[in-house]
Amino acid sequence: MFQGPVVPANEIHDFHPPIAPSGLFWVVPVSEGALTFSGDGSSFTLEMRNVTVIDQPRFPALDSIGTPARMSFRLVGKSTGEPVKYEDASKHFRFTGTRASCQLEAQVEVPSIGFSWKSDPLSTSKSDFAIMGEEVNGRYYDS
Amino acid sequence: MKEADPIGVPRRLFGNVGLPPTRRDILKSSAFALLPFATALPNHPSPNQQPMTANGSTDPYPIPWLDKFGSHNQAAGLNNEPGHIYHFKGRVVRCNSFTGMGTDNKGNRIAFGAPSTDYGVMQGEYWAARTSQQGTFVHI
Repeated sequence: MFQGPVVPANEIHDFHPPIAPSGLFWVVPVSEGALTFSGDGSSFTLEMRNVTVIDQPRFPALDSIGTPARMSFRLVGKSTGEPVKYEDASKHFRFTGTRASCQLEAQVEVPSIGFSWKSDPLSTSKSDFAIMGEEVNGRYYDS
Repeated sequence: MKEADPIGVPRRLFGNVGLPPTRRDILKSSAFALLPFATALPNHPSPNQQPMTANGSTDPYPIPWLDKFGSHNQAAGLNNEPGHIYHFKGRVVRCNSFTGMGTDNKGNRIAFGAPSTDYGVMQGEYWAARTSQQGTFVHI
């Protein structure tokens, strides 16, 4: 979140899960039923409530403080049908899918500072880049 | 078993029949009395503890490559790896550069989103703890 123009100096909140001890980056498990795909797999909805996150507006500074927070969000996406394939044999990954469009609505709370925020409705948001499909990497790349 | 005391009189290891206990006898019996505790604590799990395997965590592995900040985070974009989990096969969604508006609890209008505002969804099979696992994860 930014107060004014979108430049790092104006960032007042940045919400994400902590980095896991393994190094897994800002990733959390999704509970059963929270992610649904349409029958043909061309669209999806992910809805999660009260995800434990931190507010870390100075990230990626190593000394940036993280304040405990909660986030609820709904992410929806739909394939455009335009095919996409990314592959890098040296990094052992292959992605096959399509371009997509995604929209997001969210609300956050930082109880310790009495801050909460809620986005405008889903339809008012947009993302400039989105893809959806199948990926294989690591030990599954050659199989 | 017997041993000789300093003056050559045989003594039983755990006491001297007919004689009052010496300081050595008291120290010996105290030390042996503690043995059951010394052996029971570290080597025998309590009834509530389950046997453990040693195959590692079932948590997913991060992508090995490092980004410019030293994190295992792959930027979303053309020809970039879209997932965040290594040894993975399954569905992936990646989207970034979100923009939108919102309102805080004081009525202030605050924009959200930047080129780095991204989400990633991973659902499928991954390898951890030396075997295949199933899971659904989101990168926020």
